[in-house]
Parts: sequence; structure tokens; C-alpha cells
Amino acid sequence: MAIEYKKSLAVFDDFVGVEDAEALLEWFQKNPKGKVNFTTCTHIHASNLQVLMAVKPPVVAWSKDEDLQLWLEPLLR
Amino acid sequence: MKQILVIDDAATVRLYHRNILESAGYSVDEAINGIEALEKALVKPYDLYVVDVNMPKLDGYGFLNEFRRQEDAVQSPAIMVSTEMGENDKVLGYAAGANLYLTKPLKPTELLSYTRLLLGEVA
Amino acid sequence: MNSLLEQFLSEARDFLQGIGEKLMQLESDPTSTPLMAELFRFVHTLKGNSGLFDFPEMTCVLHASEDLMDAVRNGRVNYSQTLADQLLEAMDFVGSLMDEIEITGKTGSNHFATSTELTKALRALLNAHNAVYVPVAIETYTEDGLAVKAISWSELPELDLPETVAMGLYRCSIDGETVFWLEYTPEPECFFKGEDPFFLARQIPDTAWRHVILNNTSSTLAEMDVFSSQLVFQLLTIAPAVELDDLFRYVPDQIHRVKIPALAFVKPNGRKDSQAIDDDFINNVLALLDKDEIETLIRTINTMLELSSPELWSSSVLRWALQLVDVEPENKSAQRTLLNTLRAQTPPDWSSSIMEMNEPRDMVTVMPSVSVNLSELSDTLLRDFNVVINTQREILSLGGTWSAGRLKSIAATLLGCYRAVQKLHEVESIESALQLALTKNSPEPLLDWLNNSSASTQELVFTAEEAPIIVSNLATQNEVKFGRRTEDAVITGAVAASKMLKVDQDKIDRLMNLIGEMVVAKNALPYLANRAETVFGVRDLAREIKAQYAVINRVAEEMQDTIMQVRMMPVSFIFQRFPRMVRDISRKLGKEVELVLEGEATEADKNIIEALSDPLIHIVRNSLDHGLEMPDVRLAVGKSVTGKLLIRASQESDRVLIEIIDDGKGIDPEIIKHKAYEKGLIDETTLERISDQDAVNLVFAAGFSTADVISDLSGRGVGMDVVRSAVEKVNGTVGIESEVGKGTRLYLSLPLSMAVTNVMIIQSNQQIFGVPMDIVVETVRVPHSHIQRIKQKQTTVLRGRIVPLLSLNDLLASNVEQLPNEDNEFATLILRVHGEHVGILVDEFRETVDIILKPMTGILGGLAGYSGAALLGDGSVLMVLNPRELI
Repeated sequence: MAIEYKKSLAVFDDFVGVEDAEALLEWFQKNPKGKVNFTTCTHIHASNLQVLMAVKPPVVAWSKDEDLQLWLEPLLR
Repeated sequence: MKQILVIDDAATVRLYHRNILESAGYSVDEAINGIEALEKALVKPYDLYVVDVNMPKLDGYGFLNEFRRQEDAVQSPAIMVSTEMGENDKVLGYAAGANLYLTKPLKPTELLSYTRLLLGEVA
Repeated sequence: MNSLLEQFLSEARDFLQGIGEKLMQLESDPTSTPLMAELFRFVHTLKGNSGLFDFPEMTCVLHASEDLMDAVRNGRVNYSQTLADQLLEAMDFVGSLMDEIEITGKTGSNHFATSTELTKALRALLNAHNAVYVPVAIETYTEDGLAVKAISWSELPELDLPETVAMGLYRCSIDGETVFWLEYTPEPECFFKGEDPFFLARQIPDTAWRHVILNNTSSTLAEMDVFSSQLVFQLLTIAPAVELDDLFRYVPDQIHRVKIPALAFVKPNGRKDSQAIDDDFINNVLALLDKDEIETLIRTINTMLELSSPELWSSSVLRWALQLVDVEPENKSAQRTLLNTLRAQTPPDWSSSIMEMNEPRDMVTVMPSVSVNLSELSDTLLRDFNVVINTQREILSLGGTWSAGRLKSIAATLLGCYRAVQKLHEVESIESALQLALTKNSPEPLLDWLNNSSASTQELVFTAEEAPIIVSNLATQNEVKFGRRTEDAVITGAVAASKMLKVDQDKIDRLMNLIGEMVVAKNALPYLANRAETVFGVRDLAREIKAQYAVINRVAEEMQDTIMQVRMMPVSFIFQRFPRMVRDISRKLGKEVELVLEGEATEADKNIIEALSDPLIHIVRNSLDHGLEMPDVRLAVGKSVTGKLLIRASQESDRVLIEIIDDGKGIDPEIIKHKAYEKGLIDETTLERISDQDAVNLVFAAGFSTADVISDLSGRGVGMDVVRSAVEKVNGTVGIESEVGKGTRLYLSLPLSMAVTNVMIIQSNQQIFGVPMDIVVETVRVPHSHIQRIKQKQTTVLRGRIVPLLSLNDLLASNVEQLPNEDNEFATLILRVHGEHVGILVDEFRETVDIILKPMTGILGGLAGYSGAALLGDGSVLMVLNPRELI
């Protein structure tokens, strides 16, 4: 599983595909104060990106993948 | 049938161009560098030359320079095809005797459209 | 897989090989310019080839490699070990992608991370030397020509660029790079098509600034449709236009690509404070600018900057002014415009200065009079016509010397174009302009003709009557010209190469099988002749059949010979991988090794070469691992620090000899003896009596491995016995010579060809079997009385030597006695097996034949006692024994 949900934290790992987007959206509906952690994430499918952009959750940790961070940081900060 | 000489050191590119041109009914010969191209072009006049730039032994510029200097040769149009997109490369190509400078990879439609034009074909 | 892709893969592998080799050579000669040029050409061509396909990860890595090699070749970056390692790694990645393409026909989506990482690493090597080089892109046309409204840079949304980024981009574009603004709006349904727009956007190389907009139409999360894309990606990149177009070739209608002029980046930002700068200062700097007192100007501006707060808008203007003075010193008007903004504190208006320099050379001329039902092709034709004509005008305006050939070629080009658009009445005037140009040896007359021609670009408009003709004429080819699927159909045509022909291995194998069948069919003719004579009594016919057989036989033999030739491959096929392997392993072990390859051009049958590959690798690894010593050890025993490993191939009559010679520590027979004894491979008496050479030979014994620690290099505990059996499988032999402290010589002797096997047919227990002739020493008839029993075993004495006798029936586990002849003698084959003579009792000898031996496959493949089967002329199957395994 590419997203691991821990109480109020969603941990993104490796490559998060389109199949995870719906669950992610539902999780944010249930956990409006949910936070995200991108440390080990290398890519998220565009569908997940738009969910994140709509929610703008607090980011606990940015991705170690520099390029991904360059994209995400201005959008979610 | 119109004869076209495709000059490129990469067999893949030669095949690619050959397939496109043959599909439109042209007869295609190949040369793997400028030297071989000269050998072929001086024996048999072609209606069009499709010339790569970067080749071992004699590159595209060298080939065109030499070929355009041949008094007796039929001076058919030449399309230079290269991955180099610099303005300078282009001018070098024109100065050597290219009549068109296109960048790789060529779309089949692009190559065919220009070929028809340069060969004066309406039908 | 289509033929173009096959060609690509086959050629690409050659290039990868070549790149590896050149890198190796560069290692020993790091300043060689020809080597670097060659290396660049390999990478360059490979990248060009990959660009014909949709393998973005591959092209991306190759592009970065190409840029790096270009920098190396031009001396902007120095060749280094790290650089070589990085390039090799990149090439390994490309190789692995090709493996995948070979199997699946495409690359998977999981290489993005590796590709990005490699690209970054390569680019980092480039940037470390501050030498980003991206060629200037030529403006290309949008795919759908007139349909798309061209957006100009001034209509772009305000980009909130950090000043440093903006300054960097400004410098880049002044330095000749093209900065593109790219807006990518994926279609809402794209997720259902398996697309990942974010992934695609991340593929864009050389991105300087990136942004994503969410056009969320729903007010609450619950209403949001995650499966409908609502994103817009915006980027600034200095990637070449073709690369961008290639990346977005499947969604060309979803992107806008606009070239941004350098000055557009000059946009001061910051807090506005009208008190910050007074008019005196502004007048002063403008005066300095007019007087061209640049040094004073810079000093004055710097002083002001020190006095002002950096967040002020005016400070930003001053910083930009310094940039402009530095980067574009001659562009005074721009500097003035910028400094003038200090007065009103309004952003500079660059539109006029940019319009001047950005002449719309490549703009599509809109043709209002072209009727709306004209197909796209006539637009294309018109556009291409204009491109070609304008190009000729550009060429004619070039200076320099003019050869008659160039003038003629331009005239030929013009003639073609005007013919193509059916402006036939121009033909004559072009020809007279050419004649004039040739007499004057000047391009002027042609240029004049172009400029005065009634059919020049601006005026070339299709009239209502003309246009449809062109459309209908070209429409026949039109159908196949758009869309990727049809594109593939066009390029998947027949293969026809020039001199060299690369053929699929399978086809050669098939040819081999066919000739095998041919030989079998041919061999049926003597049977037929025999039957004609004996059964039907027509002797004449029998003679004719025999005559015909002689002809067919000759042709078949020649054919077989030729096919054998085709199957011959140089050993360089295996040797070529050694430089890299030796380098990698020796580095891992911390040893220094010089590898010498000899006789790479020696040829042998493809199957032999292939069978040789694994054993050789094993042997080389062994030599590196156990043979050659560590540098300090070598020094201590008075050897050179660098160990030497020689791999040599040569041909000896009908065999290939391969030697692997190292000057390492050699093999100590004492150690081998005791190891073998400990492992129970030899008994105590042997331990005492065994000669040194025989002891060394024990390394080939099954289950023998001297490595105290199983390293990951010399195969996990698998010893030389595997090498021996692999070599013997193709009728080869292997031997070893070693001198303690001096080194080891291993040699493999293999047949040149294994396709035709000469076998002796023997009969036993009412069946026939084949025995390979190369192990048959002689055939004898042993009288029953000469057979003695020693310890349950049958033996006989032959020329003073005791030869053990084995019955074939026993070996094949059929409990039947061998049949002697009338004189009570047993037919006995004396074979050489593992260097010893063994007699095999059979029932009867028959003739020897040449057969095409086919290894048995499937369940039968597990029968070690047989080396294969072959068809005989009468259609029956001959099983060929493998006595080495049988005994």
C-alpha cells in the first residue's frame, strides 16, 4: 500500500498511484485535520495531487526526492 | 520513379527514413557516411538527398561541400537532418549546400511533405 | 515487434558496447580527442535513434549523457573516473530498458525515478563545471497550424518569479538559450486513459520554475471528482522545443508553448516607496549612462543599493540595472527604460523593444481566401512551401563564396516548389535567373527573382479553382498521414539494408534445421536406388537416381558449408565484455589488473561461442579472485604491482584454442592434494602417489572448490567442474598448467563447428545407437577367451595395457547378454573417456554417418546418457550416446 494511514497522519511511500486517490479523499473527509508525510515518496499520481491541492493539509515532512519537493512545496505550503 | 539517397550513419534512422519514403512510392538508396554518399551520388544522379550531419569519416557538411563543387553532377535539392538545433549549425548546413535544415526526429508527414515539394510533385 | 524497433535494438546494443569500450580506452588515454569525439558520436546517435520511439526515460538519460560528453569533448568538463562510472551506470540503465523493450515491446512506468536520478547525476557533473549547454531551439509549428491562436508572451499570466530565478533565466536567454513558457492543461478524462499528467510534467527537462493550478469547480470535498483532472501545469524551461514537442506528442492540443524573450524576465518587484529615490540620483545615473561612464555608473548604483533596504522595489530595479549593464552592455535603450521606471515606480514596458528583436519570421501566414473545406494538408503544403522558399531566400542572403552547384541546387529547389503548387509559368523565369546567376557567379539574380516574383510568399494564395486540385491530388496519401497508429504503419515497412545484413538468430537456426532435414532427405536417395534395383529390378533407374543423388549431395554439402559460415561468430562477441568485467571486479577486490585480449577475430560456430561464454566468465573471475594477488603481496614477492591477465584465442586446425593466462600466485599442488583428500575425492594412496600435474587437475573434479570463503565473485561454491562439463558438452576439452608463484594457464580447446557430427552406428540388443567418432579410439573384436574378470570387472589386455570392458546393455540397464559373432568374438569400441581408454562391448558395428545432432529437449533432455538424436536417411531416429556420462 502506497499510503499508510496512521490516526491523523497519511504517510506517502514510493509511488502513489491513481488507485489511491479516492481513498485519500475519503480519509480527508473523515480526518479534516489530517496531516501528510512525504519523506519516502517519489511520485504521486496527478489525481492525488489535486486532492492534496484541494485540501492543503499540513505537511509534516517533505519528500527526500528533491524534484518532487520542488513541485509540492509551493503548492502545499 | 524518383530516386532518393538517405545518408546517415545510424541504421535505425536510415530504416526509418527509408520506410517513410518507400511507403510513398520513392526508390531509396542508403549511404552510411559522406564518403559512401559521394561514391554513390557521383555514379548515379539522385533526385533528392536526405543528409545527416554528424557522421564518421566525412560528415554531412563535408559531403555537401564536396558534392556541390562537382561541375558535372546534377545538383538536386538536399535536406539536412540533424539533432543539432543551433542557429550556427543551420547556417553551416546552408553554406555547405543544404536547401533545407530540419531537426530530428522528423515526423513522417513532415519528411513526405517537404520531399514532395522539393521534387515538384503534385500527383 | 516491428522491424524498425528491431533494428533500433540491434543497433543500440552495438552502440552500448561501443560506448563501454571507448570509455575503457579513455581510461588509459584520458586526453585522446579522437576517442572523445567517437564516444560523443555514439551517444549522440543512440540518443537520436531513441528519439524515434516513445521511450522518454531512455531518451532523457541519453540526452543528459550526450550533453555531458559534448562538454567533455569540447574541454569544458574534464574526463574523470567518476564521470566514466556515471556514464557506465547510465548505459547499464539504458541496456536494461532495452532488455525490457525486447521482451515487452515497451518500457514500464517504473523507471521514472531511476531515470531522473541518473539524469540528475549526469547534469550535476555538467553543472559542477558551470557549463549547461542547451542549443537554441528553432521555432516549430504547432501541430494544428491555423486552428490554434498564437499566444504572445505579453498575454501570459503574471509569473511570480523569485528575482534570482528571473535573473538566471534572463542571463540564459541572452546567452542564446531559448526559454519556453509551457502551459499544459490535461483533458478531464485523461486519468481514464491511463495518463498521469503530473508524471508527464515532471519529465520536462531543465525546468526553472513550476506551478500547478487547481480549477476546482466543486465547493466541498465531497463533491470533488478525483477521477476528472482539474489541473493546469505551468512551467518555464530551457529544454529544446523538439524535446518538449516529443514529450507531449500524444497530447499536442493540450499544451501551449511560448518562447519568452529575455527582457520579459526583467521585472522588478518589491515594496514601493516613492521617497526611496530622488530625481537627482535618477538624472545622474541616466547621464552617466549616456556618457558611457559605465564604471562610475556601477559604483553609483552600488552605493545607492548599500544605502537602501533590499526589499524596496527601487532596489530591485537597481539590481536589475546592474544585470543589464553586465549582460547586455550595448543595449542602452533597455537600460534607460529600466532606470526611468524609478520615477513613476511602474513596471518597465518592454513590448516595443521586444517586438523589434522578435521578428515574426516563422509565423504562419494566415490565408483568409482559402476556402474552409480545404483539408489540413493544403495548409501544410502552403506552410511548407513558404518555409522552403523563405529558407532559399535566407541561404541566398548568406555571404561567402558560391559554387555553381549550390546555385543550381537552389534553383532546383525553387523549381520543385513552384511545380508542386502548379505555378508552372514561373519555371522559365527561374531558369533564366539561374543562368544569370551562374554567369555572374553570384546569388543576386536568384534573390532578385525571389523578391520580385509574383508568386512570392505573401502573395501566394490559392485561388478557388486551383486549391481543390491540389487537395484531391494529395488526398490519396493523406489518410495515412495523421495520428500515431498510422505513423507506425508507415514506418513498419519492409527491411532492406545495404551491405551488411543483420539477421535474427532464430532465422539462422531455422535455416540450420532445414539443411539438416535436407541432408536427411538427400540420404534417402541411396535407399531408394537400392530398392529400385533390388525390389523393382530396374537397374537403369537406380543408376540415374544415384547420379542425381551425387548432384544433390554436392549442392547440399555446399549449402551446409555456407550456412556454417554464416553461423561463425568472432570470439570478440564474448571477449568484449571482459574489459568492463575485469575492471569492475578488480576494483571491487582492490587489485590492479591489466587485461590483454588477443585473437579476438578468431571465429567459431555460434553455439560454441555461446557455450563458451559462461565457462570463460567463470575462469576469468577465478583468475581475478584466486589467481592474481593483492598489490602489496605482489610487491613483496618482487612482482609488478599490476597483475597481468591474458585472454587469447587462436585457431588450431579445426579447433579453437582459448587460453586464459595470469601471472598470479599459481596453484599449489600440495594444497590441492590435501583439500581433495579432506573432501574424500582421493584416497590415502593416491594422496601419496599423485603427480603434481594430476593434483592440479583435481580442481576439475566434481565438488572441489578451493575458496576458503565463498565469495560472491567466483560463483557460489561452484567449482571448475562446472566449467569442465560445460565445455565437454560442446565436445571441448579443458586443461590447466600452473607453476607456483609464477602463474596459471588454463586452456579450452573447442571444435570450430558443432553442427555436423560424425558418428559410428552400432547395434546392441536389436537397437541401433550412434557414438561420436571423436572419442572412438579404435574398434576391435575381442575373443571371449581374452576377457578376464578382475574384481567383478571385465577387462582385457590390449597392446600390453589393461582395458576395462563394459557391456552397453549393462550400461543401458537392459539385462541382456551381448551377442558375439560366429567366432565367439565380441565387437568392442575402444573409447577415450576422461583421458582413459575404456572398451564398450556391443553386438555389431555398422557404418559411420554425418548427422545433424539435435539435443533432446523436455523430459528427454534430462537423460544424461544421450547427447541427442538425429534423423537417418530412411526416416528412422538415431539416438546418439554420450559415453562420458554413461560410464
